[in-house]
Amino acid sequence: MLELYHGEPNTFSLKPLIVLHEKGLDYTSHYVGPTDFDAVPATIRDAMEVQYNPEGDGPILVDRGTAITESFFVSLYLDEAFPQVPLRATDAANRWRVLMWARFVNEVLAPAVVTLGCHKYLSPWLKTQNRAEIERAIAAMPTPERRSGWTMALDDSYSAESIEDSHRKIALGVKKVEDALASGGWLAGPAYSLADIDAFALLAPVSGLVPDLLGENNAPRMTAWLARILKRPAVAAAFAKSKTGKPLESFAPGPEHSRWG
Amino acid sequence: MLTLYHWEPNANSGKPMLALMEKGVAFESHYLDLLNFDQHSPEYLKINPNGTIPALVHDELMLTESTAIMEYVDEAFDGPKLTPDDPLERWRMRWWMRFFDQYFAPSVSMIGWSVFVGPSVRDRDPEVLKAAIARIPLKERRIAWSKAIYNTFSPEELDESRRRSAVGIACLEKALSERPWIAGNSYSLGDINGFNLGYALPLAQPALCNDEKTPHIMKWLRAIYARPAAKQTWSLGRTQMAARIKFLEG
Repeated sequence: MLELYHGEPNTFSLKPLIVLHEKGLDYTSHYVGPTDFDAVPATIRDAMEVQYNPEGDGPILVDRGTAITESFFVSLYLDEAFPQVPLRATDAANRWRVLMWARFVNEVLAPAVVTLGCHKYLSPWLKTQNRAEIERAIAAMPTPERRSGWTMALDDSYSAESIEDSHRKIALGVKKVEDALASGGWLAGPAYSLADIDAFALLAPVSGLVPDLLGENNAPRMTAWLARILKRPAVAAAFAKSKTGKPLESFAPGPEHSRWG
Repeated sequence: MLTLYHWEPNANSGKPMLALMEKGVAFESHYLDLLNFDQHSPEYLKINPNGTIPALVHDELMLTESTAIMEYVDEAFDGPKLTPDDPLERWRMRWWMRFFDQYFAPSVSMIGWSVFVGPSVRDRDPEVLKAAIARIPLKERRIAWSKAIYNTFSPEELDESRRRSAVGIACLEKALSERPWIAGNSYSLGDINGFNLGYALPLAQPALCNDEKTPHIMKWLRAIYARPAAKQTWSLGRTQMAARIKFLEG
C-alpha cells in the first residue's frame, strides 16, 4: 500500500497528490501540519534522502519500505511504477523536455515562490505561535540548511535582494510558460504531462503572491492553462485534501536559491 | 547527425561524453576551450544561445543540461541500458543526480573555480576579460565568471562550500557502503554523474577522501575508471586536468 506524508495541497505536496488521483491509485494519506515536526516517524525521517531532501519538508511517499522524496521524482516514480494513465510521452525528445521543465521549476522557480510565500504567509503566522517551542523544534532539525530556512521564516529575515530576485525568477517563469504555450497544447508537447503538473503546483499560488503578473492581459495563455488544469477532477480531488481551506497560502521553507547567484 | 560540444572530460562536459561512450554511440566531438571563453563566441551562441556547455545537437534538436542530456542519450539510442529497470532504483538514481548537481558539485566546483579557473585566466588583459564577461548571456554565469576572475568569492561562501563538500563525501561513502552502485545493483547514469564530480576528490580533498577514510568511494572510482568507456572518454582530454585521472590506475 502506498503511503503519502504531505502538507496542505500546495507547491511540493500538491504534485504527488495530483498524480495519485490522475492514476486512480489507492493510498494512505498522512496529513502533516506546518509545524507538526514529529508527525513523520523517526525511521522515515532518518533516511538520507529525507534528511537531505532539497525541498526541506516536502512530501514523502513510502512504497516497499522505502522513503521516496523530491516531489518531481516522486511523481516520476509513480508514473513509471504504475503505467496506467501515462503522464509522460514515449519519445525521447518530449521526455527530455519534461526533465528540463522540472529542472527550471524546482531549481529556479520553486525557491522564488517559496521565499515570497513564506514571507507573506508563514512568517506572520509563526509570530502568533509559541516561539520557544518552534525554536526547540528548529534546534532538533538534522541539517544546517533546514535550521537556517526555518530561522529565516521565524524572524522574517528575507533580504530585499532575495525578495527582488524572487520576483525576477517568477516573472521569468511566467514568460517561459507563455512562450511554451504559444504553439498550443501543453508545456512539454501536445499532451498534458508531468511538466504541467510540476509547473502548476508552483504557479497556482502566484496569483496570491504577485497578482500583477497574471490576468488575461498580462499572461493570457498561462491564465487559460491554469484554468484548464483546475478543471481536472484529479486536481479537485487533490485540493480536497486541504484542512485549512486555503491551501495556496500554505508554505514551508526548504528549497534554496542557487548559491552561485 | 550527432554532435557533442564539450570541454575537458570533467564535471558537466564529462557526463554526456561518458554516457555516449558507454552506449557505443558514435558522435562528432567538438571541443570548446572553457578557459578561452569559446563557449561565449558568436559561432557557438548561434548553436546554444545560453552559452553553456555541454550541448548535444541531434539532427534538428539542440539539447542542454548535462544530466537531462544523459537521460535523452540513454533513451534515444541503442546500446547497454544505463537506467535501472526497477522504478525504485530509477528514483534513487535521479535523487542522487540532483544531490550531485545541486548540492555537492556546486560546492566542489566553487572551490575549483576559486583555486584553478580564476587563476588560469586572471592574468590576461583586463579589458579583454571585461569584454569576455560582458558577452556571457546568463546572469548566473556572469556572476560566476566575475567572482572567479576578480577573486571575490567571500570567505563565508568558500567555507560553506568546504563544509558541503565534506557532507557530500560522507553521504556518498555511506551510500556506497550499502550498495555497489549509486542507484542499487547496477551501474547507471547516477554513477556516470557522480564519477565526473568525484574522480578528482582524492586529489582535491586528500584529507577527507582516501583509502582509509572512504574505502567505498575509492573502490567505486577505480571500478568506473577500469571501464573501457571511461578510458576512451578521458583520452579526449587535452590538458593536465584530464590527465590527473591516471592516479586511479595504481
